[in-house]
Amino acid sequence: MAHDTHADAGDLASFTAEVRAFLDAHAPGGTAREDKAGTFVWGKGDDRMAYFSSDPPEEEQRKLEEARAWQRTRYENGFGWITGPAQYGGRDLTPVHDMVYNAIEAEYDVPDTGVLSVVGLGMIGPTILAHARDEIKDRWLPAMYRGEAIACQLFSEPEAGSDLASVRTRAVRDGDAWVLSGQKVWTSVAHHSRLGLALTRTNPDAPKHKGITAFLVDMTLPGVEVRPLRQMTGGADFNEVFLNEVRVPDDHRLGEVDGGWTVALTTLMNERATVGGDNGGPAAAALTPERLYAVLRASWTLDDRAVRAQAAELLADVMATEHLNTRALRGMRAGVTPGPEMSVAKLMYAQNLTCAAHLVTDVFGPRAIADSGEWGTYAWSELLLATPALRILGGTEEIMKNILAERVLGLPKEPGIDTRSPFRELRRSGTGEGAA
Amino acid sequence: MTGITELSESELRELRSSVRDFLEAKSSEEAVRKVIETDLGYDPEVWSQMAEQLRLPGLIIPEEYGGDGFGQVALGAVLEETGRALLCSPFFATVVLGAQALLASGDEEACAAYLPGIADGTTTAALAVSERTGAWDPVQIETRALRRGEGDAGWELTGTKSFVIDGVSADLLLVIARTTAGPSLFAVDRGAAGLTAEPLETLDGTRRMARVRLGGTPARLVGTDGAGGRLMARILDLAVTGLAAEQTGGAELCLESATAYARTRVQFGRQIGSFQAVKHKCADMLVQLELARASAREAAVIADKGDETAFAVAASAAHVCCSRAYMFAAAENIQVHGGIGFTWEHPAHLYFRRAKSSQLLFGGPHAYHERFLERLGF
Repeated sequence: MAHDTHADAGDLASFTAEVRAFLDAHAPGGTAREDKAGTFVWGKGDDRMAYFSSDPPEEEQRKLEEARAWQRTRYENGFGWITGPAQYGGRDLTPVHDMVYNAIEAEYDVPDTGVLSVVGLGMIGPTILAHARDEIKDRWLPAMYRGEAIACQLFSEPEAGSDLASVRTRAVRDGDAWVLSGQKVWTSVAHHSRLGLALTRTNPDAPKHKGITAFLVDMTLPGVEVRPLRQMTGGADFNEVFLNEVRVPDDHRLGEVDGGWTVALTTLMNERATVGGDNGGPAAAALTPERLYAVLRASWTLDDRAVRAQAAELLADVMATEHLNTRALRGMRAGVTPGPEMSVAKLMYAQNLTCAAHLVTDVFGPRAIADSGEWGTYAWSELLLATPALRILGGTEEIMKNILAERVLGLPKEPGIDTRSPFRELRRSGTGEGAA
Repeated sequence: MTGITELSESELRELRSSVRDFLEAKSSEEAVRKVIETDLGYDPEVWSQMAEQLRLPGLIIPEEYGGDGFGQVALGAVLEETGRALLCSPFFATVVLGAQALLASGDEEACAAYLPGIADGTTTAALAVSERTGAWDPVQIETRALRRGEGDAGWELTGTKSFVIDGVSADLLLVIARTTAGPSLFAVDRGAAGLTAEPLETLDGTRRMARVRLGGTPARLVGTDGAGGRLMARILDLAVTGLAAEQTGGAELCLESATAYARTRVQFGRQIGSFQAVKHKCADMLVQLELARASAREAAVIADKGDETAFAVAASAAHVCCSRAYMFAAAENIQVHGGIGFTWEHPAHLYFRRAKSSQLLFGGPHAYHERFLERLGF
């Protein structure tokens, strides 16, 4: 039943039982958790309300090791790559099985494996599978899904943000290798990564989408330099990656020479699948009615009509966003191809968290801008500072809206010369002329 | 709720498409414009056909009372279509409000007396709750019910009801009035003594409203004396769930109209839909529509599962989302159309009017925010 689009109910029932048996036996935190939201008590426990991690290095390292260990346990028990082919340690099951596994695992207390899975296993793995040579797949895929090789996405550049096809990192052929030079930016987990999927410019005379080549770069090669990028929260979850004449063997090329855009699309398609489902995370607690109620009580605004109206609109959107996910998931289980629900859910997740962070800090007033020591007040400032990122990462809000308008509503693309002209003639930021 | 006949996905699709086909033929823009100029406010011919050909008035009425016994999911599918088509019809007042009020009362005798007539399309109904302020608040019910004789039928009502949907045309009035035990539900026949109904001028011509005066009007108690407060809450949950489906259908049509225009209208040498300012308006409308649809349909699913607490939350959340979504879509649709959208000839204003009237029908934003928060324990 390899890669059927959907699974039958009987098959899912036995799979579910198998998943539960595995988690009961192996989940490090023990048995299934009770209702998470129900355990919230104001003033008790950790009041951190962050989207990005702000752990000190030794704590980050400890969590990384836990994540690797848990991924290895999954892999050894047949849950490391549920949709992957058996020859690389996968289970040959469907995306629905994957969702079922994730939904059940969320009930258990297990380490967060986002550092491995969001980019590497969720996006880069499927890209390698689709576009790499067999010996490269043999070498790297099992290592990745065993939790050993973390992978990152060397895509964005200072001059190629939303317009990813404008990458200018050069790759020049030299015998049976390529020499890569350029700068990548906004690279998550690069500092932990063994592998990077790089988009490079191999033909500046072709239109921008037709002169790109993709490479799988061993991040330990000479010339690869990873520098942490400090973002506005003060933490450094992203990196700049400098490629200084890095020699990458030709067998690590993915897809055809100048055919890298097809490779990038495979990655991006999987990104949408990953980010759209992002409704959990450390900040999810910010959106529960219990938490907001407690905040209003602690800020003496339970009787404030304007605040109540904002809270009602926000919580109705939070609930509708959950319904969107529920309905998309239910549809997929029944074999229905999802519509725009996931993209809308991603937009709304960012909007809901942004709205919550502002509402809460506004009602706390000065207690949100200076740490008075009071539990659960200043703590929200960390989430507030992360919210601009939510409207940018994984596709800016503006690009997401273009996609919805063009792909779902069938509105025409903005006319432009950038898809037809040779790349080297396109205008660059800060110049009035052609470049490259 | 138990005993609901469930529809499969394909049966539901079939229901939607048969209702859409019917309404495309019977509730075209031209037909809507014609009917809103009439005194009655709907086409009785079309109402009969809805009953005879599609059996719609009996859709959610249990089989024992002459209906087909479907649930909120099926009703929602129909209401999305009537909302799209701006159908002018007794359907909302008769079925969504009237029939559901009778069913919610649990009064089997009253159900047996009135529901078969509603199911076969011969009886239309209206629900008279709000008074001067338009609020659906048991505390604000001033209309009095006095016992004049023996049994359920021995009551007389005195007071003034306002904002009664289809209050002029309905054959049967279901009235909330105060007894010594508190607010209670009563049934009043159209011809009853001391009953007068006057039409109110309305912002939205597709939904008629009336002021209903009761002066010692004979009435029949429906359900338990004093149970009207609890009943009002239950009826309102069902009413806003139905309304949410209508609003979703209306918002969907506004989005379709705006995108169709944005694809064909050319200015500055390009289709205006290629400009991001216009494109993003349409994307924002789509986001609102998706939220509305998910919240309306999921509230109906939860209602049919019979989880009353979860339904009360989901229904009040859907009312918030769908009211906002429809108003937004109706306003932005006019904006995408520009000058042509502001003309009387263009249908955009009919949707704008309907969107605002739907949003305010059961009290408006303050009321629906508070109802939702109350259900979340705020």
